[in-house]
Amino acid sequence: MKSAVGVVLKKELREMLRDKRVRTGAFVMPILIIVMLMGVLGFVVKQVKEPHNTKIYVVASSSPIIEELKKQKLTVITVATLDEGKALLKSGRARVVLEIQSTTAESLPVTQINAYVDPKEQQGQMAFGAVAGVVQAENKKSLQKLFEAKQVPAAAQEPIRLAKKDLQVGSEQNAGEILVSLLPYLIVIWAFYGGMNIAGDLVAGEKEKATLETLLITPAKRTDIVLGKFLALATICLASSFMSVVGLALVAIIKLPGTAELLGKGGGVTPVAAVFILILMIPTAALFASMLIAVSSYAKNAREAQTYMTSMSFLVVLPGIFSQFIGLTEFGTKLWINGIPILNTANNIRNALLGKTEFLPMLITVALSTVLAAIALTITVRLFQREQVLVRV
Amino acid sequence: MVHTDNLVKHFRDAKGNTVKAVDGVSIDAKPGQIFGLLGVNGAGKRTTLRMLSTVLQPSSGTGAVAGFDIKKDSQQVRASIGFMSASTALYGRLTGMEVIRYFGELYGLSGQELEGRIDFVTEKLKLHDFKDRLCDKLSTGQKQRVSIARTILHDPPVLFFDEPTAGLDVVTCQAVLEFIEEAKTLGKTIIFSTHIMSEAERLCDQVAVIHGGVVCGSGTIEELKAKTGHQSFERAFLTLVGYKGGQI
Repeated sequence: MKSAVGVVLKKELREMLRDKRVRTGAFVMPILIIVMLMGVLGFVVKQVKEPHNTKIYVVASSSPIIEELKKQKLTVITVATLDEGKALLKSGRARVVLEIQSTTAESLPVTQINAYVDPKEQQGQMAFGAVAGVVQAENKKSLQKLFEAKQVPAAAQEPIRLAKKDLQVGSEQNAGEILVSLLPYLIVIWAFYGGMNIAGDLVAGEKEKATLETLLITPAKRTDIVLGKFLALATICLASSFMSVVGLALVAIIKLPGTAELLGKGGGVTPVAAVFILILMIPTAALFASMLIAVSSYAKNAREAQTYMTSMSFLVVLPGIFSQFIGLTEFGTKLWINGIPILNTANNIRNALLGKTEFLPMLITVALSTVLAAIALTITVRLFQREQVLVRV
Repeated sequence: MVHTDNLVKHFRDAKGNTVKAVDGVSIDAKPGQIFGLLGVNGAGKRTTLRMLSTVLQPSSGTGAVAGFDIKKDSQQVRASIGFMSASTALYGRLTGMEVIRYFGELYGLSGQELEGRIDFVTEKLKLHDFKDRLCDKLSTGQKQRVSIARTILHDPPVLFFDEPTAGLDVVTCQAVLEFIEEAKTLGKTIIFSTHIMSEAERLCDQVAVIHGGVVCGSGTIEELKAKTGHQSFERAFLTLVGYKGGQI
C-alpha cells in the first residue's frame, strides 16, 4: 500500500485553511501586528525627529537666548513664575521649564539657565538635550568671537575634531536599526504561535471528537499519519512566520508615515535576506511543529494540549525577547551563540537583515535546529505508536 | 471470519494498579452472521473491538479477522474491516464527500476504483443532496449516512458496529439497523456491540454477554433465555450479569 503521508497532509491543510482560527491567528494577526507596530514606531520616530514639536516653557525673561531657541524651531511658551512652570511640569503638561537669570562671574556678565526636568521622563530629557545643544552652540559662537579678536588661528581653536562617518556594511538596501531588533523576534515567535492555534486539534482534538480511532483503524501506518500531520503543521508554522515579512512589504507599499527610515532603502528585507530567513526558518518551523504535535499526542484533549503549549511558549518567547537586545551586547558575534536553539535562529536572521551573512554560524544553526527537529519528531512518532495515544487510563 | 481465543487486555492506571478491561474473551463469528457483544457500559466491549481492529495490542490470547492474525498482520486486518460508532464524529470542516474520499484514499483506493465506489455509496445511501455540504452543517441523520458510506466504501468483508444507534432519533436508528440487516444478507461478518437488548434480539444470530471483562454467557438469544429460565431476554441478560435488585 502506498504511503498515506500525502493524503493526510492534503486533508489537514484543507481543514486548517478552512479554520477561521488559523486564518486569523496564523495569517492575519502577524500581518496586522507588524503593520500596527511599524505605524506606531514610524509615528514616534517622526515626533522625535521634528524639533518644532518640542515645547520649552520659559519663566518670563528678555534674554536673547530665547530668540536662539526659537531659531532652532523649538516652541517657546512663557510662564509668569517658576512656580507656575513647576506646576505644569508636575501635571505632565510641560517637559522642561527654563528659569533664565542674568548674573556675574569673575566680574563678567553670565546668563544662568536652570532647566527643570523630570529625570524619569524621556521627552523631558530630549527637550533638555535640544536646549543644551542651543546653549552649546551659543557658547561656541561667543568663544569663536573672542578667539578671532585675539587672532587665534582656527586650528588652535579646535585642536581635537570628531567627525562621524557612516560606513555602509552590506547593501544600503538593508533594514533600519529598529526593524533589525524587532523583526527576528516576530518571525520566530509567529512560527510557534501560528502553529499553536491549531496543533491542539491535530491529535488531541481528534481524540476528543473520536475521529482518531477511525483514522487509526485504517490500514495507513501510524508513522505516515503523524508525518502527514507534522508536515501540514510545519507548513502553517513557516507560512505564519513569513507573514511578518509580507506585512513589511505591505507597510512599504502603503508608505505608512515615518516608516521609510525604519524599513531602510530596500523596503525592510532584501531578496537575499529573505532567502537566508527561509533557510533558517525551515528547520525552526519543523522543530516547533514536532514539539507541538508531541504535546498534542500526549494530551487527553485539546484543552489539556493548549495548557501545555502555553507553558511551552515561554521557551520560545524568552530567547526571542533576548534576541531584541543582543545588539547591545557582544554575544551576537560569538560563535557559541549558535548553540542556543531559537536564539541562534533569531540572531542569524538579525545578521541577515544587516547584510552580515556568515556561512559557518548559519550552518551550525540550521544543523542544530534540524537535529532537534528530528529528535522531537522521533519522540512524536513513538508517542503516536503507543496505545496511550488513544487510551490514557 | 472473526475469531478470538482467550483474549486479555490489562491496563495500568495512573497509580500503577492493573485494570482488567478484558479477561479471557473467546468468540467466533461467521460470514453472513451478526454476532452481538452485549454488556453494560465499561463491560469490555469496546476494548475487545479495539483489539480486534488492532488499535490496541492484546496482553495475551489470540485473535484473527478475515484470516489475518490481529498481532502479526495488523495492516491486513485493518484493511479488511469497516468500523462504525455513533460516538464517532466526522471532520466538521470537510464536506461529506471529502470525508468519504479521504478515507477511500487511506484504504488504498484510487483512480477508477475509488470513483466507482464513491458513486456506489452515494447512490446507495442517497447522499446527492448534501454530499458537498460541510459536515458541521449536516443533520444527525445525514452525518450517520456519511459515516456508513465511509465504513463500507472499501467493501470490507468484516464490519464492526460499536453502539451504532446511541443517541440517535428513532428514524435514524431504524435506518442504521436496516443497513446492518442488509449487510448481513450480503454475506458480511458483523460484530455488533450494544447494551440495547431489543436491538440484539432483532439482529443477532449469536451473542456473547460480557461483564467485568469476562464472558458470562454466550450462544443464541433463545439458548440464553433457556439457560436462565427467563422469557424476556432483558431479564436473561440481567441474570447473566448478576443483577440483584439495584446492584450488579
